[in-house]
Amino acid sequence: MSRILVDFDRCEGHGLCEQTAPEVFRLDDEGELHLTREEVAPEDERAVAAAVRVCPVAALKVRP
Amino acid sequence: MRRIVVVGGSIAALTAAESLRAGGFDGQVTVVSEEPHQPYSRVPLSKGVLAGREPAKSALLPAPGEDIEFRTGARAVRLDVRGRTVTLADGTEVPYDGLVVATGARARRLTGGSDLVVRTLDDAEALASRLATARSAIVLGGGFLGMEVATTCRALGLEVTVVDLVPPLLRLLGPWLADLAVAAARDHGIRVRVAPDGVTVVGEHRVRCGESVLEADVIVCAVGDVPNTDWLRDSGLPLDAGGGLVADACCRVAPGVVAAGDVVSREGRRTPHWTNAVEQGRAAAAGLLEGASARPYRPDPYFWTEQCGLDIKISGELPLTGPPDILAGSVNDRSALLRWRHDGGAATAVAVNHRLPVIKLKRLGAGVPAPAPART
Repeated sequence: MSRILVDFDRCEGHGLCEQTAPEVFRLDDEGELHLTREEVAPEDERAVAAAVRVCPVAALKVRP
Repeated sequence: MRRIVVVGGSIAALTAAESLRAGGFDGQVTVVSEEPHQPYSRVPLSKGVLAGREPAKSALLPAPGEDIEFRTGARAVRLDVRGRTVTLADGTEVPYDGLVVATGARARRLTGGSDLVVRTLDDAEALASRLATARSAIVLGGGFLGMEVATTCRALGLEVTVVDLVPPLLRLLGPWLADLAVAAARDHGIRVRVAPDGVTVVGEHRVRCGESVLEADVIVCAVGDVPNTDWLRDSGLPLDAGGGLVADACCRVAPGVVAAGDVVSREGRRTPHWTNAVEQGRAAAAGLLEGASARPYRPDPYFWTEQCGLDIKISGELPLTGPPDILAGSVNDRSALLRWRHDGGAATAVAVNHRLPVIKLKRLGAGVPAPAPART
């Protein structure tokens, strides 16, 4: 199963990933990003790819 | 509605196409993009890609799903709204039931076709190869893009002069923040030339400002963008004076036609920024699928730039008048959290070299956008 990689040095807490795939990406009250799961389930693949795409600072990747 | 065609190939177009699927549309989705490349982000083009620090392929975006047809090298040249057909440059006619216009904008040029600009991946690579052997550059235009390009040129060791008709960033940011950024530019060794009497490009290496002539190995043109709506000129769709495609609060343009991204003019202006391209891509898909019952899209005035050692993030309306409240840090150190309060209760929050999650900056500034509707 592929995995989500977050570059926390790049992540600035824009929250577009959370808007796109709230099942997987969560910002806490401090604006810090948390993953509900690191492995990408088949049913989440599309939403995760969309979240990777909309990140303004290219902080997200999916590793096969 | 069985077939939706998206014209354009950048983040607004892709977001619209994927949002159609997320919204439950199971008909055919075809994206036609003029560019020869797979979709990419323009964000790193003026920064890492131009500096040669990041390879061009680092700008590529994840490809759309396999149930979305993505055609490259397919330039739309005409739209027949009544017949619901897009005509491509090679004569192909692409019929649609629903249309998303996301053709973006192109660099405004001062001398016809030969100006060096930073808009597409090919532009950035062409300019990067010129900068690699240059010793000096003139950047025409003191907006975000011009100042970012100047910063990159300086980091590459070039002598750099920014030329504009007005002081850099003044119209965009207002005097207080523009002064801060220009002071940082001068400290960075960037020369600033304000030429109120006009600027004329005379040949490949020379620029005339009033009485004097400036010379450099490379002249870069960063004087704004022009919406790509030439192909819509005879379509009957509403264009504003600047050529932007006029859309309503749900990104709808006409029956069966929506729009997203840099091409869109809403309430009399375009907002060609990443966040808006994403938000409008989502709203356009909803506008097409849900029609009048779609939730209006709320603009999120969020802007950021990296230039001359300053990382500036802004949430709220621009330009800014008067001095700000300093919420944290120190202006002298150029590391501060600032806020301007406007009449009527709105505010603009600005972080200068101050690390703060963007969502918290938005709480201090324009506010946090409402959560997206649940996915189906």
